[in-house]
Amino acid sequence: MTIQPADFDLTAGLLQWGKAMLSVISIFLGVALVAAVAASGKKGLFIVLDGLTRTVRDFVSISPRRVFAISRLTFKEAVRRKALLVFVVFAVLFMFASWFLTGESHRPGAQMKVYVTFVLTAVSWLVLPVILLLSCWGLPEDIRLRSLHTVVTKPVRRNEVVLGRILGFATVGTLILAVMSVTGFIWVQRQVSDETDLTCRVPVYGELSFLDRLGAPAEKGYNVGDIIETRSFIEGGTNCTAIWKFPITSQPDELRLESRFEAFRTWKGDMEQTLRVQFSLVNGATGLKVPLPNTVNVAEFSTNEIIVNKTLTYKDNNTGKDVTVDVYKDLTADGILQIHVQCLDRNQYVGMSPGDFFIRLADRSFATGYFKAVVGIWLLIMLVVMFSVTASCFVKGPVASLLVFSLILIGQFFHPFMQKILNENPEEKLKGGGTFESVYRLVRHMNETTPLPEGFLTNTIQTVDGALVNCLWLVQHIIPDLSTFKMAPYVASGFDIPWNGSMLPAIVITLGYVIPCLLIGYFSLSLRELEAK
Amino acid sequence: MNNLTSRQRKTAWFVAILVLLIPVVLLGMPAGNTGSDSGGVLADLRAEHDLGESNLGQIDPTSATMNLLLLGLRGVAVNVLRMDLDDYKNRKDWAQMQATTEAVITLQPHYIEVWRFLGWNLAYNVSAEWDSVPERYYWVKEGGKFLQRGEKRNNRVPELKWEVGHIWGHKVGRSDEWKQFRRFFVSDPDTKRFKGEGDREINPAGTMDNYLVAKRWFVRSNVAEKEQDQHIMMRELFRSYPSKSQIEYADALQREGKFDGVTVAAWQEAYVDWTTKFGKEEIHTFNNCRIYLEADEDDVRQMAIDSGVAESVILGELVFYQNVANYLHWRLLCLAEKEEGMGQAHRLLYEGEHLYNQAEHEKARAMLLEGLQKFESILSTNPFSSLRSEDNLVEEIMWGTMLWRQTYLILRLPVPATFPMKDIWDKHQDKLPTLQSRFNHL
Repeated sequence: MTIQPADFDLTAGLLQWGKAMLSVISIFLGVALVAAVAASGKKGLFIVLDGLTRTVRDFVSISPRRVFAISRLTFKEAVRRKALLVFVVFAVLFMFASWFLTGESHRPGAQMKVYVTFVLTAVSWLVLPVILLLSCWGLPEDIRLRSLHTVVTKPVRRNEVVLGRILGFATVGTLILAVMSVTGFIWVQRQVSDETDLTCRVPVYGELSFLDRLGAPAEKGYNVGDIIETRSFIEGGTNCTAIWKFPITSQPDELRLESRFEAFRTWKGDMEQTLRVQFSLVNGATGLKVPLPNTVNVAEFSTNEIIVNKTLTYKDNNTGKDVTVDVYKDLTADGILQIHVQCLDRNQYVGMSPGDFFIRLADRSFATGYFKAVVGIWLLIMLVVMFSVTASCFVKGPVASLLVFSLILIGQFFHPFMQKILNENPEEKLKGGGTFESVYRLVRHMNETTPLPEGFLTNTIQTVDGALVNCLWLVQHIIPDLSTFKMAPYVASGFDIPWNGSMLPAIVITLGYVIPCLLIGYFSLSLRELEAK
Repeated sequence: MNNLTSRQRKTAWFVAILVLLIPVVLLGMPAGNTGSDSGGVLADLRAEHDLGESNLGQIDPTSATMNLLLLGLRGVAVNVLRMDLDDYKNRKDWAQMQATTEAVITLQPHYIEVWRFLGWNLAYNVSAEWDSVPERYYWVKEGGKFLQRGEKRNNRVPELKWEVGHIWGHKVGRSDEWKQFRRFFVSDPDTKRFKGEGDREINPAGTMDNYLVAKRWFVRSNVAEKEQDQHIMMRELFRSYPSKSQIEYADALQREGKFDGVTVAAWQEAYVDWTTKFGKEEIHTFNNCRIYLEADEDDVRQMAIDSGVAESVILGELVFYQNVANYLHWRLLCLAEKEEGMGQAHRLLYEGEHLYNQAEHEKARAMLLEGLQKFESILSTNPFSSLRSEDNLVEEIMWGTMLWRQTYLILRLPVPATFPMKDIWDKHQDKLPTLQSRFNHL
């Protein structure tokens, strides 16, 4: 399994967020203004202005003391509602977990992967439902029992109630998560045997390109018939080459490379000899190519570790003399080190994806990776708390729970599907059209590539589908992609959580929802009739 | 609305509950510890058909707990897990795939086909995905061990015992990597863990040949088959597997170039097994006769009397079932191979090839010729002449002849027009391209 997330573009993300906020606020203000003027004439303008002034005042003069008091109250209420009983389920789960998880496999690496995945998944799926239900039912229950009256009649602002609630439930979630994750960490360490290497690799990935069998640049390598084409294959004994371009950010005396390629044989050959690859370091500017002294036998679905010394000696084919070069001075051009990989066995293939080969920096402790993944879960909990409290400001408990549950479900599992529908690239776009077009094709027994007949019906269908797709676009942009918060696969595979590819987007997404949630919660609670049960 | 008081309504509910409880108790009452306390209808049925957890095999509390917790959703859960399993397989995430396999089997511990399919998947499909032979062997072992656990959980089922035997016999002994696999079976490549011996989980003695271990499993499956029907193949073929395993064992020794007393003894045992064990197995035929395959005229007469039919009927049945199991062919082969001359002929061809590989062409030519002459002398006599069309022997003789002819070409000498086993060489020219390919890889 290879892991290489795409880098997150922070500037583009912030710009998109700014545009979205501006659009929503403008629409909201426009609608409010029109409605107010329509209802009260010229006075409506002042009503809206008054409302705006009050909102600004409420947010500027927010009282940390009152927010803290409400959050403390929320915490106590959660404890009183026996939220901490989740620890009992957790304890039972972990007492018997090894019954279910200990396979007959004696491979420590594989077993460790299962343990780590289990712990992080169990922790998140135990905490999330508890927090979701607590946060969704908190405010509606207060309204139902009228205990909120005792709060709102005091000089507590609505935004302070929302913020206090969010912080209170966040504290409960943090406490539960902290206890469970520390217990889980100890459990993992106790489960693994001594020989297990609980690693936390720090990889530097490169950009991958290919040359075909004639040595001409190619978009990708060959497909050997895999159902899911995760890897491209290069043919052995030809000019087929995989070219990696690595950014060189530091210059250690030993460059530690790690590869995990896949082998594919078109004929059995020497079965006791695994396929061999040759690594060469190339200066992209001068074309100087230095093959590494030893060929490497591909350790399939495992790891090949190659140590490259800072200085390399090779035999110059022209002069026949030994030449010594410095990897960083002679082979690195513009901060980029090119490494070429070729398969040496004729008619055999070696497969690779961009994440299959990387420069391995100094390892971090397993705890670093593990607790970073826990931070990922914590950020998800914060997001769920914000959604839940906001939803509970305008609907009742059961509806809020269903709403947030649906949001989590869509955010966790349906983003790739939505992306497929919304994809602009015709090659990757889902074929067969939108909802109505698909129904039409089904009824008329038309396959997905047959063009629709021109006419009014087709135009109507495509217009309606276009509108639905726009709605889907909106949904895709409103509901966050929660798979970003899933960091367990990195830790389970022995990697550190990448900052740019995983941690940063998770943090930014969570922060991005703070202001919208506070505003929606504030206005909803301000407009809500608290007497209604 | 009705006119009943609260107390009357409660009493009515109570009576209704009691009435409903009676069939529930009668149906579902568990059996007691003593034989006299038989329990409810369901418990009786369970006991009658041996369907209790403890009757099926080893009890796994994990599995029972999981099934209980899932209430009626086991099927849904299994479907989701099976889809995950396929996805992990397609993504080549073997650790997760194996963990999911375990989860599926935890939920369906008594579904024989699930054990069979998933065990085969590990031993054949996953194993083939790996490039390194020790890794492939590891996954073959995983598949076999998985089936062994299935057998423990369902120890009355003959199919699972047979499948285990099939993995240790067929997969280990007949794969492309059979040489390495057979070596690994008695000396595991994971030397750190198994200290140069075989994995005792699959090879209890640590040093036993894979075919002999397979034979043990086939014997067990035959014992179980007497109690419970198998659904893999015709019964007569199923019951021949222990004896077949012994034949495979002797044959494998020869393939590995072992022609000493052990091999001869292995063939002798194979003959005894085939004729006195499998050959004396009682077969209940479609025409309601009881026969056994190793039979002379007196036996046929006795079988006819016992079955109450004419001798001609028994003879017809005998021929049919002997053909089904290819009984006479294997009998003849064992008979021939246990002869010392046959072992010598194999050895001469094997050593001739060895000399050829060492470029000792003169010596090789002489040895190969002697081997072919030995074969000629044995296979020209009755009853062994019918073995002249036996596939393995034909291939061996063709290969030996090819090398022998090649020595002439290398030494720039004309190939003699006549030579021993020429009729086989002429008859099986269609095999030459395959042999040529093998020759090119020498």
